[in-house]
Amino acid sequence: MSEFKSGFFVGGEACEGRVLVVDDEPDIRRVVKMTLQKAGYEVIEAENGEKAIEVINSGENRLLLDVVICDIRMPKINGAEAVAYFRSNYPRVPLIVLTGFPDTDMATSFLRQGVVDYLVKPVEGEKLRASVARAIEQRELARL
Amino acid sequence: MEQSDRTKVAILGAGRGGRALLDLLHHIPSIEIVGVADRNPAAPGLQRARELQVPVTTSVPGLIGNHDVSLILDVTGDPEMETYLHAHKPPASNILSGSASRLLWKLIQHESKLEAELLQSEKLAGIGSFAAGIAHDINNPLQLILGLAENLAEERDLTAVHEQARDIIEAVKRTSAICRDLTRYSRRASPHEDVPVFVNGKLDEALKIARYASSFHDIEMVKQYQLGAAVKGNPDELLHVLVNLITNAVHAMQRGGGTLTIETTAHDGQVDVRISDTGCGIAPDTIHEIFEPFFTTKDPGKGTGLGLYNVKTIVNKMHGTIAVDSRINQGTTFTLTFPNAEPVGQGSLP
Repeated sequence: MSEFKSGFFVGGEACEGRVLVVDDEPDIRRVVKMTLQKAGYEVIEAENGEKAIEVINSGENRLLLDVVICDIRMPKINGAEAVAYFRSNYPRVPLIVLTGFPDTDMATSFLRQGVVDYLVKPVEGEKLRASVARAIEQRELARL
Repeated sequence: MEQSDRTKVAILGAGRGGRALLDLLHHIPSIEIVGVADRNPAAPGLQRARELQVPVTTSVPGLIGNHDVSLILDVTGDPEMETYLHAHKPPASNILSGSASRLLWKLIQHESKLEAELLQSEKLAGIGSFAAGIAHDINNPLQLILGLAENLAEERDLTAVHEQARDIIEAVKRTSAICRDLTRYSRRASPHEDVPVFVNGKLDEALKIARYASSFHDIEMVKQYQLGAAVKGNPDELLHVLVNLITNAVHAMQRGGGTLTIETTAHDGQVDVRISDTGCGIAPDTIHEIFEPFFTTKDPGKGTGLGLYNVKTIVNKMHGTIAVDSRINQGTTFTLTFPNAEPVGQGSLP
């Protein structure tokens, strides 16, 4: 098996990377997916932290996931708990927090934990795509 | 309290002053209201007295002569009444009339104004904790609207354009409903007279508001409503009571979730509203203090300590009672009992 990395091919189309969107609101998953797919990303979804952990631990996601975009206020395992889990178990996967509630203390604490970006809804498509691209770039640099 | 220890009070005049006095004195265990008199059989105080099952009459001599009345409260504002009372009162009774009763009326008005202030300030203090919930519920639809609008700018498929435009309209409506609910809740309780209120509708309204104050994630809802259950009171104040109790119940389950059960039942001329959680419970050594003003178990600056105090004040004003049953780590149930909105004893009235 060859080494997996970003820029692989899915169904003959160029894929910029695989992004996991964790949000309890289907509306949010829908538009984030719409926004990122346009830029060539493959998007998978999870409706809460618990599902997100299931998804990242299943099959090829363990290796293929490039970025996680995570909400904070969610049922089951909330965003803060999910972030802590991802940071300790998958430190190589960059995390972007996308929240409806701007909170400076929380933002500082997340960035200290190694979260690469803290975005407040509503976020423009361009900004979201730039944030994801930057996260993947940093990840690639870290691999070198 | 022994019946004989109670001060027997007769109220003369059943206008606004008489009615307010009746409402106030009715709650004081050491006072027995032996009757309310007014020349006008349709006076509002007489109507209230009937609801409270206090004897009513249009005859002053009958009222002050037939009982061993210890205090006569004259709020008729009629100077001739004052003269009449001094001439005909039973020897052992005292009279409060003229400027003294006007002063009493002023104090009652003042007290009810203070009570309204207290209620409003507690409500506004509570709304501070809604910020996270409001931000969440406004910014999520905004994200949808922005995302769809950005897409529409480039979308070529007409079916998709129509569908997404409809989704945007729905999202805008949802967002504006949030502001409508909250402004309705945050305004000062309208001072209108008591009206029949359907409890189930108010509970649903309270649930919507309570969702801003606390996260309902991991909370299972059980609703058991008796159709048509109605109580009498100020709808805004009742809403405040229900928001308070539901928010407390959800906060009690903040760690690990649980079940919120809301139940209404109507039986024997009364309506029961039961709000139960399966949360942390109230410690037995503090349970008798929870309705006291300024009692709080929250961190300094987090709670006003006025929530349950105001709840009890409103419930009592509605001639209802509130009871609490709690077990540590098992949960808490608050039971409100109100008289049914149907006027009591209506069948015996002309």
